[in-house]
Amino acid sequence: MPTRTQVPQKGVTSTVRRDQARRLRPWALGLVALLAALGLQGQLYSGQERTVATIFMFVALAEAWNLIGGFAGYASFGQVVFFGVGGYFTAVAMSHWHFSFWVSLLLSGVIAALFATLIGIPLLRLKGHYFAIATLGVAEGMREVVTNMTDLTGGGAGITVPTVGNNATTAYLGNDGFYLLFLGLAALSVLIAGLVARNKFGYALRAINQDEDAAAALGINTTRTKVLAFALSGFITGLVGASYAFQQVTIFPERLFDVDITVLMIIMVVIGGSGTVLGPLLGAVALQFLSEFLRQNFTNLHTFILGAIIIVAVILLPQGAVNYVREARRTKEYSLLANVRKYRL
Amino acid sequence: MRSRTLAAAAVITASSLVVAGCGSKGEAKSTSAVSSGTLAIGASLSLTGQLAREGQLTKEGYQLCQEKVNAKGGVDIGGKKTKLDIQYQDDTSKPDVAAQLVDQFNDKGIKLILSSYGSANTEAQAAVIERNGQVMVDSAGADNKIFSKGYKSTFAVLSPATEYSSSIVKAIAELATPKPKSVVFLSADDGFSKTVTEGGMKTAQDQGFTVLGPQYFPNGTSDVSSALTKVKGEHPDVIIGSVHLVEGVAIIKQAKELAVTPAGFGETVAPPTPDFAKTLGTAAENVLGSSQWTDATKGTDKYFGSAKDYTKDIQAKFAHAPDYHNAEASGACLALVLAAEKAGSSQPDAVRAALRGLDTESFFGKIKFDSTGQNIYKPMSVIQIQNGKVVTVWPTESAEAKMVWPGTK
Amino acid sequence: MSGFLQATVYGLLQGGLLALVAVGFSLVWGVMNVVNLAHGGFVILGAYVGWEMHQWFGLDPFLGMFVSAAVLFVFGYVLQRFLINLVINGPIFITLLLTFGLELMIVQGMNLVFSADYRSIGTSYSSDSLAFGSVRVPLGRLLAFALAVAITVLLVAVVNRTRTGMSILATGMDRGAARLMGIQARHVYALTFGIAAALAGMAGAMIGTVGTFNPSAAASFTLMSFVVAVLGGLGNMYGALVGGLVIGLVQAWGGQYLPGTWVNALAFLVLIVVLIFRPTGLVGRPYYAARLEV
Repeated sequence: MPTRTQVPQKGVTSTVRRDQARRLRPWALGLVALLAALGLQGQLYSGQERTVATIFMFVALAEAWNLIGGFAGYASFGQVVFFGVGGYFTAVAMSHWHFSFWVSLLLSGVIAALFATLIGIPLLRLKGHYFAIATLGVAEGMREVVTNMTDLTGGGAGITVPTVGNNATTAYLGNDGFYLLFLGLAALSVLIAGLVARNKFGYALRAINQDEDAAAALGINTTRTKVLAFALSGFITGLVGASYAFQQVTIFPERLFDVDITVLMIIMVVIGGSGTVLGPLLGAVALQFLSEFLRQNFTNLHTFILGAIIIVAVILLPQGAVNYVREARRTKEYSLLANVRKYRL
Repeated sequence: MRSRTLAAAAVITASSLVVAGCGSKGEAKSTSAVSSGTLAIGASLSLTGQLAREGQLTKEGYQLCQEKVNAKGGVDIGGKKTKLDIQYQDDTSKPDVAAQLVDQFNDKGIKLILSSYGSANTEAQAAVIERNGQVMVDSAGADNKIFSKGYKSTFAVLSPATEYSSSIVKAIAELATPKPKSVVFLSADDGFSKTVTEGGMKTAQDQGFTVLGPQYFPNGTSDVSSALTKVKGEHPDVIIGSVHLVEGVAIIKQAKELAVTPAGFGETVAPPTPDFAKTLGTAAENVLGSSQWTDATKGTDKYFGSAKDYTKDIQAKFAHAPDYHNAEASGACLALVLAAEKAGSSQPDAVRAALRGLDTESFFGKIKFDSTGQNIYKPMSVIQIQNGKVVTVWPTESAEAKMVWPGTK
Repeated sequence: MSGFLQATVYGLLQGGLLALVAVGFSLVWGVMNVVNLAHGGFVILGAYVGWEMHQWFGLDPFLGMFVSAAVLFVFGYVLQRFLINLVINGPIFITLLLTFGLELMIVQGMNLVFSADYRSIGTSYSSDSLAFGSVRVPLGRLLAFALAVAITVLLVAVVNRTRTGMSILATGMDRGAARLMGIQARHVYALTFGIAAALAGMAGAMIGTVGTFNPSAAASFTLMSFVVAVLGGLGNMYGALVGGLVIGLVQAWGGQYLPGTWVNALAFLVLIVVLIFRPTGLVGRPYYAARLEV
């Protein structure tokens, strides 16, 4: 007669509990970081709050780009188009149709997501650099279109969100309010990235990144998955753009559709470590903080120094900081020069 | 384990921030800009990016102002001479950075601000100035739209945008013989240029010219051939360009290539700059331009003297002839200094009231602000390039030479 | 009708110049899979070298451009050999970031050394034009166009007929196999990049005669190169020429028949439409598209 072996209960429970703790740890750390950011607000002057709010803005943007560019491997060079579409929709809605900011904010995200779906379906058939250029073309094209719709958007002269007087539908949030708004958006973005990273959708994206045909053979609907990721990243970027438009009050097409913003997003993700959740966060904080610091203290040379630092960072850590740390911890190989040797010709 | 220590370190840093956040950050820095015997003024400039060239000229203007004021001992505030200290930050030619810099100056307690270059940057800054209760003197943002928003804390020493081409039209109406009949405007599509075009077209209609439909092209383009080809068939007598340097040079160059020959050309912004005549050589001959200031401008003040003195000083310090961008920057700095002296204080409210009531002559011309904050009391000068040199031809009181008409042979 | 002809002439001339600006960019991308964001910086650097030659030695820019080419060849070779080669095996877009950092340094360097003045290389004949009926053909632009076409043809000949050219093509197709055949990949890559930089420099010298330039103009040339290279298609040496001519014509016709401010939007619209229906560009080779995920 087979006897039932007694599994030592204590061992199982402790292993299960340790796994649960390990899985919850990132969320706990995230919560702590959020609380710290809230506490930080009390320590900052008004102008500094604005600077830190910009850091949060880039965290949100970088994490959103990471969804399509890092996880799925479809590097969108035109990501700023969602930023601009969201921003302009909010500006137009608030000044022409007298919507309140919060309604415009939500609608901007939705419109940006719909736009992403619309262009995603034809464009996501392209691969690699061709996809990048096509999205860049869309972004530049949208900028020109917005510049030409002068009746609606004011064209090159810009459009102003009413913040004072009778036309203002929502009171201006001020540096304090925008700090919290951008912090909220950054938290939302990191949260979504974290959820995506750990569930089936995220694994589908990673599969598409590694080998799209094999993923399709496994039964993943690649078109739907890619478009969904694109729409999701467009949604978040649209929300950020809307908040930015309200913060700036007067917006111009060259700034809201500026390719520099996309390039900055990409640099932050890649230097931090693309395809991870922590990478874009660290990359955004580090790069934005560095560029602010350099600009304030080296008024004449700051772009030059920033360029040099980017070059050095890229040479020493081509796979991004977070990925480097993970690989190094696993292989116990910490030498940076060995890292360079691995990737050079 | 490493990750555990890392996590612990993170938690400790975070909790200390949270705890510290419960306390206050202490008093914001005092609002007095006078500390340790200097008057601190904030200036955000475009030292890199698209507007680097003009930003550099603006900086030169501010630097000369600081030198001149401090050479006389400093700003006379309530009997005490305080040295001027202008602090520069780079806004990388982006409006959002320019606005952020105003906030950062505000943090440091610097309430008196000199504007960045260009209407877009200035507009962004004006909004923040208004919110923070600072005071800004605008040296280079001419677009009338900035002043139609009810802002009370921004004052522009330069003539508004609508005057840029209106002055050229008025000069032609007054001095050109035989008087031309038709005018066409070629304009860049940015906000400032469009305002310039609207103002110019209205003046042209008032003066009795036939105004042909304006042609627009993208800002910063060096190829205006399609606009020129379209107007060639209409045979306009005068072509006026509401442009910046790049498009301005392109219009003259390509008009020659395409054999578009009106009786004369007039352009905004580009002709008074030294780059224009140097680049075009003989093609620039007899092109009209408008300028906020020339070395024939009438008026003197106690720090800069006359326009001729200013020219000598700029030439000596920076080894080039002064551009009107230098002069408008120095003029803005001068206005702020004179207002502080008049108020006898560097407190923003007192300085603001003093600026509102300022009415003085200077090397830059008359400095007086209307109720919106614009300087409508200073006329713009119209210049013409004769023998490769920029000479003032209008208004006739300060004209150095007669206007040559027709400009093209 | 003369408006249409005039626009066509201008479009072709402008297109040829754009093609010359983009051909180096396309070469580097096709052979080495490197997206060179500093390309616009090379162009402007070439313009400055041409300007200095004209200023100090009175050298006509159409001769000065050879000096630009030489200077930029050395600059490009050194950059590739000792800097970009360090990351070329890295994950996708690493070279992109590296060249972005380079672009920042080059543009700011030019700002500091040459100042942000707008410059132009003026020649006595640059504003003259030949007249064919009511259509005018500007002389300066015509020369630039002729040179652009000549250089592209020469490049194709060099790449297809000489041993060096063959080694470039071979390394582009399969680096491992090329190395097994005894080709020094490091040197070949550096050579390619140097040639591309030289071409950019020549284009820059010509741009200097046709319009005004200053350091901040670099970004727009990089963007233009992107559009032209992709529109024409990679893997085919004539891709940049085809792409340039198409963009030039589209913009000229657009400027003639639509309000002038739509020209840029039109160019991007054409690019997107072409990419949707012909993903590898107008004359590009599909093989090069498949090879792009490094």
